[in-house]
Amino acid sequence: MPQTKILLVDDEIEFASALAERLQLRNYEVRTAHKALEALAIINDFLPDVVVLDLKIPGMDGIETLKTIKKIDPTIEVIMLTGHGDKWSVEAGMKSGAFEYIMKPVEIGELTAKIDKAMKQRLTER
Amino acid sequence: MEHKSEENLRLLQLEFVGKILAGFTHDIKNYIAIIKESAGLIEDIIKIEKTPKNKSEQYIEIIRSIEEQIQKTNDLFRYLNRFAHRMDTQLAAFNINESLEELFALIQRVANQKKITLARDFQRDIPSVYSNPSIFQFLIFSFLEERMTNLDKNSIITVKTGIKGSSVGVNISSEGVLRVGQDVQAMIPPEIRTFALQKLTGDISESNGNILITLPVSR
Repeated sequence: MPQTKILLVDDEIEFASALAERLQLRNYEVRTAHKALEALAIINDFLPDVVVLDLKIPGMDGIETLKTIKKIDPTIEVIMLTGHGDKWSVEAGMKSGAFEYIMKPVEIGELTAKIDKAMKQRLTER
Repeated sequence: MEHKSEENLRLLQLEFVGKILAGFTHDIKNYIAIIKESAGLIEDIIKIEKTPKNKSEQYIEIIRSIEEQIQKTNDLFRYLNRFAHRMDTQLAAFNINESLEELFALIQRVANQKKITLARDFQRDIPSVYSNPSIFQFLIFSFLEERMTNLDKNSIITVKTGIKGSSVGVNISSEGVLRVGQDVQAMIPPEIRTFALQKLTGDISESNGNILITLPVSR
């Protein structure tokens, strides 16, 4: 399987950088963004396979960001990341085409398992 | 009229507390996520980048301990966050078993202090009920608090859930010795009972120190 390119979108800079480094140590290629518009700009340039998207990011509603990502490239898989017990947002995200969701704090093994599954899905869709 | 105003005020106060707690727990969850990733990163660096073994084993042990504590803290905050969100709406569909688990987690420390066992006998795959989730927890808490105050140590309070026709029932019973001077019939304070009956969509019955609450299944 080719190296998976991940875009990690979270407004908590320390969280995003630590998690990005952990994923890089596991041989994933990772970029980070802290705002919705920044994330959308990176997508056009970086062309990620998987986006790990915090639902509460500044600049645009998380669900709207997810819909925009899917419009840019429907085969990009999106894993929603949330610190909330907000099941309505999760349901809305799944209906809007998210591949999976994961709650904060993240179990790295659980996250990488979901990323690998998402990558397999993307490879079959391309 | 005055009574009504006071009641409304109390509800508003509860909603306020709920909102504050919801924001608080959300922030704490984020902080914990950062701590967890930082600790995880140290572990990764030691494991994946191969630090000398005698040192790295010690580091890993400490880090695992930190992570375990963080997990426990996170679990408790998760319950507190859900508890706070119970006040988002006056009437909603909710799972009684989850609601009771959440409440038990938040009052377990008090039970431990009093050496009282909170036993669960929950029916699995129970349907959701339609009622007032925060008043339901308030009612259960009021009863459990009264029992925990009046029962001697080593007593057991059992909370049982099950389907009863088109309702879900919650039965709370206790085994143990009452403290001297306590009445087995002393149950939910009448003002709380009246208040709860106004707000819930179900029924409350009490006899011989037991309580049965029935709430309608959500359609």
